[in-house]
Amino acid sequence: MESIITTDNLTKIYRGSIKAVDSLTVQIRKGEVYGILGPNGAGKTTFIGMLTTRVTPTSGRATVAGLDIVKESLKVRKRIGVVPQDLTTDEDLTGYENLKLVSRFYDIPTNEANRRIDQLLNMVQLQKHSHRRVKTYSGGMRKRLELIVGLVNDPDILFLDEPTLGLDVNTRMQMWEYIRDLRKRLDVTIILTSHYLEEIDALADRVSIMDNGKILVTDTPLNLKNSMKEDYITITFASPDDLKIGEKFFSNNEKRFSGINTLRIKVPNSDETMPDLINYFSSHSVKITRITIQKPTLDEVFLEYTGRSLRDEEGGDARKSMFTIGRLRR
Amino acid sequence: MSGLIPLTSRELIRWYRNPVSLITGLIQPFFWIALFGSALGRFPTIFLQGAPNYITYIIGGVLSITSVFTAMFSGVNIIFDRRLGPLGRYLSSPIRRSSIVFSKIFSSTFRILVQVAILIFAAMILPNGLRFENGFSLFDSAVLITAVILLALIFSSLFSIIAIRVTRMETIFGILNLVNLPLVFVSYAMFPSGIMAGWINSIAKYNPVSWSSEAIRTVIINGTLTGSQLANVGLWLLYLTILAASLIILTYVISERGIRD
Repeated sequence: MESIITTDNLTKIYRGSIKAVDSLTVQIRKGEVYGILGPNGAGKTTFIGMLTTRVTPTSGRATVAGLDIVKESLKVRKRIGVVPQDLTTDEDLTGYENLKLVSRFYDIPTNEANRRIDQLLNMVQLQKHSHRRVKTYSGGMRKRLELIVGLVNDPDILFLDEPTLGLDVNTRMQMWEYIRDLRKRLDVTIILTSHYLEEIDALADRVSIMDNGKILVTDTPLNLKNSMKEDYITITFASPDDLKIGEKFFSNNEKRFSGINTLRIKVPNSDETMPDLINYFSSHSVKITRITIQKPTLDEVFLEYTGRSLRDEEGGDARKSMFTIGRLRR
Repeated sequence: MSGLIPLTSRELIRWYRNPVSLITGLIQPFFWIALFGSALGRFPTIFLQGAPNYITYIIGGVLSITSVFTAMFSGVNIIFDRRLGPLGRYLSSPIRRSSIVFSKIFSSTFRILVQVAILIFAAMILPNGLRFENGFSLFDSAVLITAVILLALIFSSLFSIIAIRVTRMETIFGILNLVNLPLVFVSYAMFPSGIMAGWINSIAKYNPVSWSSEAIRTVIINGTLTGSQLANVGLWLLYLTILAASLIILTYVISERGIRD
């Protein structure tokens, strides 16, 4: 498949020693949603910063839509849309004025710009608020506006840097819907960074796990999860006798008893195990009342590659800020 | 510079929507005129270079100071844009970096001209206020406007250069507070050179605020200029032009090399 972004040993070193991005060589395919998953400080934003020409690389090179990010930065900026982590819209202008302002940066003819702005406002249901000043918008409305500001120039590539950071769960799900929707409607490649596992899982075609400035692995979320070989099957049997017979099927697996007549078994791949399991149970007349399959999440994948859990990272941040608050109070 | 016109109009829309900044920008110069004008109303006219009263004497200085103070804030606005986010948007758009900075410089120059018009009007309606005893020709107004614009360009460029590199609000406010008093009082903005201590005098004559104040003062007091007055005004405007042009070029070069994110 055709690559739209290629990087070759792309590196960014800050203040002579901090390697924010360390020799990244990646290829991003045209039309895909490419996710970058990593904890805060992994180098995601610096990586995106270089691809969007805001940060100058220390070494290595990269092309975006066939254009060199250093030598042809102005041309690159014409072809991309950016939705940065921070809010960028002007609070004193209306939603419409913000979109109009950005459209003028791209020399889009007035009629075309107006048509596109209307279409985008409709897409995220901001049409009837478009002539209100942005300072009156809710957090979710501002994020939606940010999303379409990044699309005003009809970009080939859209960069979404932590698009749902700080949003509540409902608003986050709503943003996911808008992102899926725009992908359906527009011919655009999306680069998405996030430290929310569910977000990457829900939206990305392929994901790279990033930590300490390096990409540790890249694949589809499904392949990554399957590669863990760590599915859990939890079975509740009808009686202790059924349990005794049923248990024999898993003589080679790690298993433990949990609750009354309930067995939790670790298997490498539940999709392959299940047909055999059903055949065995029916031929031995084993009766069961409940069966649950638990596939690994991206967190297990993350744990495997980085040696720590992304959820712990989030918790760690929260604990740290609680600590700071505690100190401030004292 | 495809971003220059849209960004300048953005600045002016924001200004128009926040009339508080216009009013606060006028309060201080108005106090200069009203308080200094009446407090020093009995200032010996012998020092006033022919002005009929103190307000007529200081108006050139007040207009210059207003220009300097408003111009300095164009740098502060760059830091605000960085802190509040819009700068990030502009930096990832296909516009010249310098257009981001020059939109601040040009819009603040426009704001200054509006303030100057209001202040002249206010000074004229005050009792014992501004009087053009020897007339005020088109040439005189051209000198006034040119001096104000050049001074605005000098200080807005200077503070923009600082803001391109400095990311902390505290730093730029610190610099602002450090320089504003010396700029005003070590100059001929408020007081005639005749009453100044020698050492202040020798510094004040190199202060661009003095050049602008004196140029405006000369045309306001005298109306039609004599040959030597004309030469002086020409020289002050020339100094201002050279300084403004050099700083604008420097601003262009530095901003094109990159604005700190």
